[in-house]
Parts: sequence; structure tokens; C-alpha cells
Amino acid sequence: MKIANLKEFEVLRADAEAAQKKIRKKILVCCGTGCLAAGSGKVAAALRAELDRKGLDVDVGLKMNETGCRGLCELGPLVTFEPSGIFYKSVKASDVAEIVEKTIERDEAIPRLLYRDKASKQRVETYEEIPFYKSQTRWALRNVGLLDPKDITEYIGSGGFTALAKALATMTPEEVLGEVETAKLRGRGGGGFDAGRKWRSCANAKEDERYLVCNGDEGDPGAFMDRTIMEGDPYGVIEGMVIAAYAIGAKEGFIYVRQEYPLAVRHLDAALGNMRGLGLLGETILGTEFCFDIRIARGGGAFVCGESSALMRSIEGKVGEPRAKYIHGTAKGLYDKPTVLNNVETFVNIPLILEKGGAWFASTGTERSKGTKAFSLVGKVQNTGLVEVPMGTSLREIIFDIGGGVPKGRTFKAVQTGGPSGGCLPASHLDTRVDFDTLTEAGSMMGSGGMIVMDDRTCMVDVARYFTKFLVNESCGKCVPCREGLQQMLRLLTEICEGAGTLRHLEQIEGLAHVLEKGSLCALGKSAANPVTSTLRYFRDEYLEHIEGKKCSAGVCRALCRFEIDEEKCTGCTLCTSVCPTACIAGEKKTPHEIDQEACIQCGSCFDVCSFNAIRIL
Amino acid sequence: MKILINGRAVTAFNGETVLTAARRAGVEIPTLCHHEAVEDSGACRLCMVEIREAGWDEDWTKLVTACLFPVQEGLVVQTDSPEVRRTRKEILELLLARSPEAEPVRVLAAEYGVELSPYPEREDAELPNCILCGICTRVCQALVTGAITMSERGPDKTVGPPFGEATDVCIGCLACASSCPTDAIPVEDTGTTRTIWGRTFDLVPCAICGAPTGTRDQIDWLVKKTGRAAADFEICVACKTKATGEAWHRISW
Amino acid sequence: MTTTPDIARILDKYPEEEASLIEILHDVQLAHRHIPKDTLSAIAAHTDVPLSRVFGVATFYGAFSFEPKGETVVKCCMGTACHVRGAGRNLEDMEARLGIKAGQTTADGKLTLEAVNCVGACGIAPVVTVNEKVLPKFRMTDFDKILGEGGK
Repeated sequence: MKIANLKEFEVLRADAEAAQKKIRKKILVCCGTGCLAAGSGKVAAALRAELDRKGLDVDVGLKMNETGCRGLCELGPLVTFEPSGIFYKSVKASDVAEIVEKTIERDEAIPRLLYRDKASKQRVETYEEIPFYKSQTRWALRNVGLLDPKDITEYIGSGGFTALAKALATMTPEEVLGEVETAKLRGRGGGGFDAGRKWRSCANAKEDERYLVCNGDEGDPGAFMDRTIMEGDPYGVIEGMVIAAYAIGAKEGFIYVRQEYPLAVRHLDAALGNMRGLGLLGETILGTEFCFDIRIARGGGAFVCGESSALMRSIEGKVGEPRAKYIHGTAKGLYDKPTVLNNVETFVNIPLILEKGGAWFASTGTERSKGTKAFSLVGKVQNTGLVEVPMGTSLREIIFDIGGGVPKGRTFKAVQTGGPSGGCLPASHLDTRVDFDTLTEAGSMMGSGGMIVMDDRTCMVDVARYFTKFLVNESCGKCVPCREGLQQMLRLLTEICEGAGTLRHLEQIEGLAHVLEKGSLCALGKSAANPVTSTLRYFRDEYLEHIEGKKCSAGVCRALCRFEIDEEKCTGCTLCTSVCPTACIAGEKKTPHEIDQEACIQCGSCFDVCSFNAIRIL
Repeated sequence: MKILINGRAVTAFNGETVLTAARRAGVEIPTLCHHEAVEDSGACRLCMVEIREAGWDEDWTKLVTACLFPVQEGLVVQTDSPEVRRTRKEILELLLARSPEAEPVRVLAAEYGVELSPYPEREDAELPNCILCGICTRVCQALVTGAITMSERGPDKTVGPPFGEATDVCIGCLACASSCPTDAIPVEDTGTTRTIWGRTFDLVPCAICGAPTGTRDQIDWLVKKTGRAAADFEICVACKTKATGEAWHRISW
Repeated sequence: MTTTPDIARILDKYPEEEASLIEILHDVQLAHRHIPKDTLSAIAAHTDVPLSRVFGVATFYGAFSFEPKGETVVKCCMGTACHVRGAGRNLEDMEARLGIKAGQTTADGKLTLEAVNCVGACGIAPVVTVNEKVLPKFRMTDFDKILGEGGK
């Protein structure tokens, strides 16, 4: 039943809003990938069954949503209750009966399921009081974890599509452009280019045919913001795209989703179908003259297709080889037509900007980076998951206040941002405020939002090698500096990690960094040396230790370290023996153990479990 | 329009590249993956030049490939600046490691002071002289039958027919081998047969003198493409030249 | 070259143009656990792309393979968060247990081991997937369980 005009939309909206208000209690079960893997699907099924058994009607007055990622993946499965705000972690299907009886029927919290603050050791009852959530500003993630990604009526009842209706009913494409320009929204995919400016140059193109593309390739290892947004708020992304299409005059759009995200494809596909059904996509949207439709294109498994020109070739059915950007995509992009390509997170911000105004958006953030940014805070950090903070928040705040710091008593060593195009920043830079430009000046970059925390058990030379290896496999192979240069870079780094490094290696690495940056065809190659150059900048000592000392203090490079048990500290608890993969630790219970150096493969498992600091890395 | 190349004002036309304008003005810029018959790809990066666009700060420049960069009013180009020479040298060092026996690479590398690559030479390569410039595939795809392709990506990237197997899409015309800048494509010519990409073709003898002309597949393809009779192609270059000369001689009075 | 029924059904879903190529390859890979060599001609004909370019595209992208994968595909995520949480070691252990290297299939053709790019579940690193199932915070003891449950 297509909405014929804006008045009908208003009626539908009012009805949906009223239906929302009738819901007295909501149960939000996180069904993002992390929680699903931990069993939230079973929890949701058990909840439905129990509610059914007790005759508690799920649809009238009580609603259960299987939502997208709630963010605190470390402690899943997560279940939240509205309006009480009670927040449960590590929920199991076996907890369900008690949950229904106490929390749903009586609004009573069950202590063992509550989050416990590591510092104060106190249990925290509601979502809003948990440090992980308290300091966040969830704009891009505003609907994720709250709404059912499959329910278009709920989306409308929560204010969805009012921005679209406002744009089509009361604004010209020029005015929409103006609002986005006022917001000073910079692309959230990594490039950080001003979105309004990009849209305007496309809108000004001479050709009539234009395309709109949403980049959902999210290839940076360690990043899952876009996945979460596509799975958890598909309508938010699509609404942003329709508004953008209106602003630039595009009739056809694509959402490019990497093939590793089948759930995102399913949710987006369903959302597109529902929107078409209501006339929110397709011909004469909301009864206006504006026509626009979207198709999903699946990625083929190539990191390079996150680069805009390669992505466009991929949509065209070709190999994902980038083109030189001497002519911008806004002039000659998809099928050589003017194209606007933006990231998922960029689009999901659009409805908010239209609704509250560009000036409102620009009042948060820093001088040159407005709004918020979603980060995937992962690695050696206590509270791993998705966080969203205003631009200008310091790394320290994100990692320590929100993230809870480095676990297991280890020391913070570095934080990696920007994926394979980015760099590592050491402890001395923890007060850096996240902002496109400050991160670049410090030698890293914002990137798409991956933020990987590393501790003293991480070897920075190994990290450089890891990223270089990744890029060698992902290089499209067209241009010489990237295809040939990265292979040489990998060989040099590997030799350093294996004990065959010399100072000449560092000289050659620096030369390769130069040709990569200056000679490469695309951004993948141009930024490929960043992991190496940033670690050389801040951790040169570690490289020298590998080269001159033939030693890896982090205990990662196997040829350059040895694990030894300190007899005086060892209590003979045998924990190390139980985790040793080669059974090379000998010792009776309660007597000091010994590692057989011949059989030891330097995996470090013993070191990681010893709670007496009895194992040394030499 | 006028652009500046190495300090000299040079005429340039809208829509053309810096490379075209430069060459026309007699300025030498090295290239390996550029071929007049097909579109440029910017793969070898040797034609890098340092440019400043109109309106940029005095000291703000960018390195771009001349083969793809479109000329524009007020463009300032340096084809041999220190930065350009350094980058070209580094690219040649990498190419020399990849294909140490490829003559054009060696010659060019020597011009930039590189006799031996500082990197270990590639060993056990299927096509040792192939620098993956892509000219062969661009030529075959755009102008002939599309028998060969680039496959895989990154360090495994290679050139040839699908699965490396002989294919009947290949007509043995040698457009690929003859346009290859480094003679990387092996061709075996016995006078009566020709072997390329794993397939042996019989060469059709010239109807007049018996010398080899082309392969049967090649002639059939030319017939289909041009609509002319096969006899027009079953004649070797020498005999055709002679026949043409005689025909001219007859009609020139 | 005959068009097998499965392929025809897949081809029918897509417009006869180059832009359909990658989508078609995805569907074929899903249906057959690989791209059978004898489907390439039909795909080339349908999309009006020379067979050589179909091959070029199929080999460029990591999602497609010409070798059939096992019924059970174990993927070890090598993303950065997983890497710092020991994915490399896990992979080595799995290779040793199965007697194959990443990218290979066991001799009986039943299980394929792959080292893959970040799957986007970084909050529960290190991640290993077994077909559709995602295993959070993977440890080698989990692996024995999967194998026990009939993976191998």
C-alpha cells in the first residue's frame, strides 16, 4: 500500500507513533554477530517461548525486539529492558524463566546478571550508568540496539522518514545541499572529504545521469561499525541515501556490501523491499516527482574495492583495479557518469542533520571535524565493542574511561587507528583528541574507525609486518610500486623478525616508503607504508633491538626470544603445563617448573597464564 | 592553451594528456606501459612528472603520471626534477629485480644509475621478462579476440589465456607479442608453424611465393572482420608490396 | 558446452550485461561450493563478456574458487583484533591438527581450512567460523569440539 502523498505519510506516522506509545514494556535482545555467536538467538527464542507459555502477550503492551549490535560485545548476550533501563550481560537461555518472572513481570533486577564495575566492584543496574555507555554520544548508532531492524512501522513510529518527508515536502535539492554543507560533515569512510562539497560538485555536473553509491565494503581489519549500522539500522542508511539522491539528482543508487556480511545484505534487502512497498523508494516517492531506487551489489572479497574507483569497477562487473583520481568520481565515476560515493556511517548521519539542522550538527566536535565518530574499540582492552563519541574526545578517554583500560594487568603500548592505511600511536599521544587532522598530524589517521589497543605483549615490528602482509595479498597488482614494493617491504620486515635484519634493511625500508607514497596509483599503495613509518617513528628502539640486539622483548618474534621460568617465583601451580601446546614444561606440583628450550616453540601461552610473574621473556 | 614544460611554453589542446603535449613538443618522458593503439593505464609509473596547477602555492607540487593527467590552463610541469628522478629510479630498481633480463628495463635503469637492483632478483618466473604493463591484454581485448587476460591479483598477477591452457579464441596473430615492450611473450616460429600460448598453428603459405603469411584462424578472423576475400590475406608482405608497386606503376600514367 | 539446469536458473535472475557478472559468480559459488569450469562459457555468453575476462574477474576476487571446497569450511579470521589476540598461533595449531595448510582441503575432501580477512566481529576476537556458525573468543579446545561434532 503505497503512500500517495505527504498527508498520508503524516497519518501513517501518527498511527505508528501512537502504536509505539501503547507499548508499556520493551525487551531488547541484542542479535548482533557477537551476541549471536555467544547464543543470543537461543535466549531470544527461550524468551518468546516463556512469554507465550505464561500468556504474556508480546504484541500488546509488551514488545520484544531482536536488535542490532548493542556495542559491549565483550559481555554478550546482552538484554536490555525499557523503560526501566535494566541491562543484563552474559545472559543464558537458562536464565530466561527467572528473567520473565522477576524483571519483566516485577521490574526487579537480578544481581548476577548485572554489569559489575571493575574499579568499584559495584553492580550497576541500568544501561545509562554503565561507564561504557555513559560517555558515548550515539548519533550514527542512534537506532542500533533499540529498534528491530526488520520493522519499518517501528522505524516510522520512532521518527523515521520524517527527515525524508521534510526534504521532499519543504526543501529544494539546493537547500538540502546547503544544510549538509552547513553541517560540515566529513566522510566517515576514511578519506574525511567534505560531504557537502562532494555532493555539490556532482550536482553541478553537466550530465543528467548521476549515480549514488554507498560504500559498505568495510575492509579495514578490526572495524565493524558499518556492519553494525547496516545490520542494525538499515532504514537509517537508506533514508540518508534517498535524501542524498534528491540533493544531487540521482535516479539510481547502489549499496556495495562486502561478501563477508550476508546478514547485512539480508536486512538491507528486506528494508528496500518494505520501502518500495510503501512508496518510499521507486517511482514518485511520497507522491512527489522524485524517483530513485537502489540495488545491492555484493563485494567479491577484495580489500582494494573499498577504494571508490575500484568499487565502481566492481559494480560494473569488472576487476577491482583503481583508476588515477586526476578526474574525480563526481565528474566521471560509475559508468563514467557523475557519482557521489559515501560511507555507510556518513549516510546514516544525514536524516539527523536534516531533522535537527546542519548548525546543530556542527555545534559538536572540533574546529575541523564536526559531529561524532563510531569506533570499534578492540584488541587488548577490557570493554571491547563499538563506541561512538564526539569528535575531539581524547584517545585516553576512549581507551581508559570507556574501554576500561588494558586487561590482565598489562601495560598500554600503542593504539592503532586507520587500518592498513593508518598508524600506531604510543602512550605519549594518549591525550590526542580524535579529529581527522590531529590524527594525521600525529602520523596515523582516522580511517574508518578501527581502534586496536595493543599492550606490552605486542611486538610493533610484527604489527608492521602483519599490515604489510595484508596489503601484499590485497594489492590489485596494477602498479609497480605497490605490487613490487610491498613484496620487498614484507621480505625486509620478515628478515628483521627472523633475526636476519641489518641497518641496511631500515634504509631500504625508508626508500620503499618513499616510492610507495609518491609513486603508487591509488590510496592503498600511497598509504601502504604508514604502518611501517609510524612504528619506525615511535618505536624505532624496538626495530633496533630486533636488528642489533637480535631480541624481541614482547616475546612475539619466535627466533628472537626465549621463555624461562624464574625458579624463585614459580610456585609449581602447573597452570603453564596445562596450556603448553608442546608439553615442554616439566615439574612436579608445588615445585619450580622448567621449560625445555629445545621443544619450546615460543608461543608464550605459559607467560600469558602465569599469575606469579614467574616467567621471563629473554 | 599554453602550459609550461620544464620552463618552456608549450601548446596543448583540451582533452589531451601531458604526455601527448610533451612528446609533440619534443620533450622526452620515459614510458613502458604506454602504447598508441590502446588506452593508457598508468601502471608502470615511469612517466611520472611533477606538476603545479594554476592557483596553487609556489612550492606545492604533486607527482602524477603524464600518460593520464589531462592538460589544463596554467599547468606547470617538470619532467626531470630531483623528486621525479628519484622516484623513477626507485621504480626501475623494483622492475629490475622483477625482470633483470628485460632489455628496455636495463637500459632505462642504467640511465638512472642502476646497474644492479638492490633487491634480490626474481627467480623461477613463468614469463621472466613480463613487467605486467598490460599492453598485450589491452591490445588483444580491444583490437583482436580477447583471448588473453590478466588474472589473479597482487604478486600472483599474471598474463595469459584462462587456466594457462591453449584456447581456440587465440588466432595466433602475434599482436600481443609484437606490442610487448620487453619481448616477454615466447613465440616459436618454424617457418611452417607458429606456437604461442601453448598452441601450435599451421602457417598459411603465400599463394605466390610460399613464404609464411598468417595462421588460418587469423586469416578467417580478418575475412570476417573486413568482409574481404581470404585471397587478399593469403599473400605475404613482400609479394603484396611488389604487387601493389606494380599496380601503382600501371595506373600512375 | 551445455548449460546445467542450476546455472540456467541462476542466469535467468540477472540482466544480460557485464554488471551481472559478480552477482552470478556469487550465486554459482554458493550453489556449487566453487565455480565449475564448464559453467564459464554460459556465464560469458549471458553477460556478453569474453571468457578470458570472466576468468580474470573470477581469479581477481577472493570469494571465488575453481577448486571445490569441503562440506565444512573452517575460517580463521586474521583481522587485527584477532591477530593481537593470538589468531596466528591458532591457525598454526589448526594446520598442524588437520595436516593441511590454510587454503587447502583435507585429503577426504570434507574440510577446508581458510585464513580469512576480518569478518567484522572484532568484539569477540579471536574469531573462527565453521560454515555459518561464528565461534567467539576461540580457543583450540573449541576446535576439538567441532571436529568431535562431525566436522571431520
